[in-house]
Formats: sequence, C-alpha cells, structure tokens
Amino acid sequence: MSKIWLIMLISSVSTLLFVNPAGAVEAMLVGSNSALTLAMTLVATYGFWLGFFAVLEKTGIADLISRLLRPVIRFLFGGSSDEAQKYVAMNMSANLLGLGNAATPMGIKAVELLGNNEERANDNVKMLIIISSTSLQLLPSTVISMRIAHHSAFPTAFLLACTVATVCSTLIGVALCKIFAKLGSKNSTGYRKNLGSCHKKANTYAQFIDASPTNSTKLKTSRAQKNE
Amino acid sequence: MSKYVIPIIFLTVLVTAFFRKKDPYSYFVEGSRSALSLMLEVFPYLLTIMMAVEVFKVSGVSGFVANLTAPIFRLMGLPAELSELMLLRPLSGAGSLAVLDDIFATYGADTYIGNCASVIYGSSETIFYVSTIYLSKCKTKKLGYALPVAVFSTVIGCIIGCAVLRIC
Repeated sequence: MSKIWLIMLISSVSTLLFVNPAGAVEAMLVGSNSALTLAMTLVATYGFWLGFFAVLEKTGIADLISRLLRPVIRFLFGGSSDEAQKYVAMNMSANLLGLGNAATPMGIKAVELLGNNEERANDNVKMLIIISSTSLQLLPSTVISMRIAHHSAFPTAFLLACTVATVCSTLIGVALCKIFAKLGSKNSTGYRKNLGSCHKKANTYAQFIDASPTNSTKLKTSRAQKNE
Repeated sequence: MSKYVIPIIFLTVLVTAFFRKKDPYSYFVEGSRSALSLMLEVFPYLLTIMMAVEVFKVSGVSGFVANLTAPIFRLMGLPAELSELMLLRPLSGAGSLAVLDDIFATYGADTYIGNCASVIYGSSETIFYVSTIYLSKCKTKKLGYALPVAVFSTVIGCIIGCAVLRIC
C-alpha cells in the first residue's frame, strides 16, 4: 500500500504543479475533510455494531453462529484459537449480509487475534484479508439502490452475473491462498532441516544460529502452531 | 430479503437476552464504548488514503492511467469505458461510487456497460483500503502474497461476470 500511495501522490502532485498549482493542496484538504466526515459516520456505525455484537456475544448467540460456521472456518483458518474463530465468523457473516462497515470492527479484532502481533502476516491473516477483500457479498445493496436512482428498468438484472463473479473470485482467492501457504510451509521445513544439519556439523555454525535465538524459537512456535 | 434479516436477528437477540435474564442494555453500552478508541486507530489511515485518492482523481492522473490501461482491459474482455472504475475500485469505496454514478449517467444503467459496471462494483471490494484498515490496530504489516492474490482473483471474477452478462 505504501508504494502505491507514494506513486499516486508523486504523480498527481507533479501533474497539478503544471496544470493547476493551487489545486494540489486544496484537493488533499478536500480528501482529508471527507475522511473526517466518513469517520464521524463510521464511529456511529461501529458503535452500533460493536454494541450489537457485545449483546450477541454475552447472550451466547455469537458462539452459536461460530459453531454453525465452524467446519468452514476450521478448514480455512487451521490452528487458530476459538476466540479468533468467533470474530472471523462474525466478520464473515456480516460480509455475507453486505454489511461491510459492521464487518470492519470484527475484522480488525480477528486480525489482532490471528496475527499474534508478529510483523510478518501468517497464513491465517492472509486468508482473512483475501476473503474480505475478494468480497463475499451476496446482495450488493449499494449498486441496486444506485441503479434505482438512475431509473433502471431492471435494477437487479446484473445479480446472477455478479454472484457468479464474486463466488469465483473468492474461490480462486482461497484456492491460491491455500496453495501458496502449502508451498511456503514446505520451504520453511527445508530451511529448518538445513538449520538442524548445521547444528550437528559444526559448532561454529551453531553459535551463529544461537546468536539469534528469537528467530529459531519463532520458527519453532510457528511450526508447532501449523502442526496443531 | 435482507430488509427483514437484520431486524429479525436483532429481535431474536433481544428476546433471547430477556429470557436468559441478561442485561443487554449494559452489554450494548460496553460494546459501543470501544468504537471511539477503534476510530482513533483507524482515522489516520482513513485520512492518509482518502487525501491521496482525492488528489489522484482531481489531478486527472487517474483518468490518464485509465486511458493508458484501457487496451489491457479490452483485451481481457472488459469494456474499456470502465477502466477508471477498475482502477479506483480497490482504493476507495466513495471514489469509485462517484465513478459508477458517472457511468450510469453517461451510458445508462440498463446498457451492457452499465450492467458490467454494476457487476464490477458489486462483486469486488476496496482491496487496499480493507487490508490497511484491518491491519490498523496490530503490528502485523507484511502481507506477502495476500494482496496480489486478492487483486488477481478479483479481476478474474470480473472477467467471468462480464462474460456471463454477454451470454445471458
């Protein structure tokens, strides 16, 4: 994201320098302003959905929903905690209902729990990002209302194609994510084996590796989590 | 359909809470309390993205890049008129919604282009925005293959969706 952001800004501001130098700062301020407007709406939306979710959680209905989705979530997010799976379940069901803004706070919590605060995202975090960003939405209500606003004779005519598209994109994303995760874990197994043989062969190497104990323990724990 | 789903869930939850002798009022207050702190974490990212997208659109660079990439989209079976929508969609929901509005106004919602635009907008997500916001509260930042995979599968989905539109 940071690279895209930088390219966007450099290209746009340098273009505006020639076309309309006064417009650059103005446009950026307009953007910042609309961020504030959006944030105000979002605080209310998040507040409502987080309150709603707290009731769901405390009455045990959240557990029920996550139990219903458990087979799917187990397959997609192997080795994650029950707590994380609950938030994933809520995130996915909110996305399915087309409530993107309700899904966001659950997604943030789910990523926090899945990611264990490691800098490099693990396979489960990647899976959640891929699923959320390929959109599971079953009813694109924004588009439908926009079509109605433009006096469409068939506001839902595109739904079949849209469903096919969104199901395909999510399936392809999930499949690719699983494939890459498998390839990645194979590579790291090879790396571990190399480390082990180094240990046996020469003490100097072992010292080298032991100099960064955090790395090897991290590897071990991540391996252990995968095996679970 | 979805008109009924959420109010019904809401009612069920409240009635369940009542019968289990729980206090949904205080739960709701506690839950919504975290919204403000959450927004404090999310807001800087929101602002950083949105100001860049705005200047990207206003400067005309997005239109220019859209024109440049239009042949690629045509090659993939997507109408060239929709390239700006395809470019902005992963970045900003509000920005791409404005483009969708524009497309409907120019070509009409019931034309092939209008339907294609609906499929593209409806079947995709704001990939870069979602991933940034989801990661805003934790230390995890390196996503590896996740974003390329998301973009690739979204594009394939759009191509399939537009192909379905042509057949039906």
